[in-house]
Amino acid sequence: MQTVAKLIDTTLCIGCKACELACQEWNDQEFTLGVFQGTYQTMPDLAHNFWNLIKFNERETAGGMSWLMTKYQCMHCADPGCLRACPAPGAIVQLRNGIVDFNHDHCIGCGYCITGCPFDVPRLSPATKKVYKCSLCSDRTAVGLSPACIKTCPTNCLTFGARDELLRKAESRAEQLRADGHAQAGVYNPQGVGGTNVLYVLKDATEPEAHGLPKDPTIPLSVALWKGPLKWLGTLTLVGGILGTFFHYVRFGPRTYEGQEK
Amino acid sequence: MPLETDRKIPRFDFGERAAHWMAAISFLYAALTGLALWSHKLYWLAFVFGGGATVRGWHPWGGVVFALALGVMFSRWARQMRLDADDRTWLRLSHRYMVHDESGLPEAGRFNAGQKMLFWMQSALALLLFASGLVLWWPEIMPRALRLLAIVVHPAAALGAIGGIIVHIYMGTAAVPEAFRGMMQGWVRPGWALSHHPRWFKEISRH
Ligand code: HEM
Ligand code: SF4
Repeated sequence: MQTVAKLIDTTLCIGCKACELACQEWNDQEFTLGVFQGTYQTMPDLAHNFWNLIKFNERETAGGMSWLMTKYQCMHCADPGCLRACPAPGAIVQLRNGIVDFNHDHCIGCGYCITGCPFDVPRLSPATKKVYKCSLCSDRTAVGLSPACIKTCPTNCLTFGARDELLRKAESRAEQLRADGHAQAGVYNPQGVGGTNVLYVLKDATEPEAHGLPKDPTIPLSVALWKGPLKWLGTLTLVGGILGTFFHYVRFGPRTYEGQEK
Repeated sequence: MPLETDRKIPRFDFGERAAHWMAAISFLYAALTGLALWSHKLYWLAFVFGGGATVRGWHPWGGVVFALALGVMFSRWARQMRLDADDRTWLRLSHRYMVHDESGLPEAGRFNAGQKMLFWMQSALALLLFASGLVLWWPEIMPRALRLLAIVVHPAAALGAIGGIIVHIYMGTAAVPEAFRGMMQGWVRPGWALSHHPRWFKEISRH
């Protein structure tokens, strides 16, 4: 099966937030009223019932101020930290088309995925005690529809399709931007997590932090240790302890004393 | 003076036994449910204990009971567990103890140096487990840096503690006959006391 992807061309985002609304509607989310933060952003952050946020990153420029509007949602990593951290088999699955999906029947609500995710995406619901995030509309893509956010985007900032094709498209768009004088333009497809199935075109790819994107996201070191060497050490401790004590008994027997009861 | 072999020597009073077994039961529960979440290969343990979500909900409470029980044990025993010069000699020669050759081993008091080491090791690991466990209990409100630390400290400390307890259970059951009755019913035979904890036996026999 072909790997799918979502391409976000940040230079084309006008901040209309239609994708936020489409996401809420399709996924049947109840909107939780927040407190006005003094920005144009809908919510300060993602939430268990709000999976797709347009960040209105403000930036001072020579002439005044500019917005670096950036769509923020699950990146559908090729090597997902959430999946590595998840203790419940089947609660996080990586579909053959590359989508990383949460299966709430199997989710136990431990929240380890929140810690494992280098993009700080999953959110725990206090009501259901389960974790939620963007599914790249796996229920739509499974039947050949494009994700709700893509379907609704009025500017073609968002496109969906085969990953290889979109990556090529992103590269050529970046080249076009460079030709137009944006020398730092490039594609955000971080290799520390094996690449992502959500790709960005950035006007300045040398500074993704300005968009609220981490520069070199990787599987956190402690998660790698926990799921790597510690697994082996732990197995050695358990098996060694059980076999070691067992064979100690076989070889040396119990410590007895004179006059011991039969 | 011949030993009156039928006498019952009190070894652990009810408070000590109750605290010990509360710690043991809660530890075993926390260890088995924790192992279920540690490895996919052991996830079947989660079903034994009521399913993944149940295990996630109750495992921390097992830890809280364990911490409380161990706290009682600590306050009862910490003074008696101090290591002295004899203990250090004992530890240096502990490989002989393991093969039932006790030449040169100093006489043990109420607890031998191996038992004392188990006590300190479990206390230290319990502290780590408790602190990191609190962080993992409420990921929503904990800073990310703490969560990243706790997610590796908690299983590392747990596996160390479980390794120690495997040896301890072996010692308390198969390897040292009659020790189990001491912790269950509270008394041991004079011959056992003289053989395993001679210095302790002589001390209590003086009164
Ligand atoms: C089912 C599991 C366990 C069994 C069968 C068991 C058995 C025993 C026995 C028979 C003793 C008395 C030794 C003596 O008379 O000198 C003892 C002591 C002790 N137990 Fe356990 N125990 C168990 C679990 C635990 C756990 C989980 C802890 C947690 C830290 C623990 C901590 C201790 C300590 C600190 C002592 C005193 C020092 C020592 O004997 O090593 N035990 N146990
Ligand atoms: S962005 Fe986070 S939640 Fe999404 S796949 Fe990557 S690690 Fe998992």
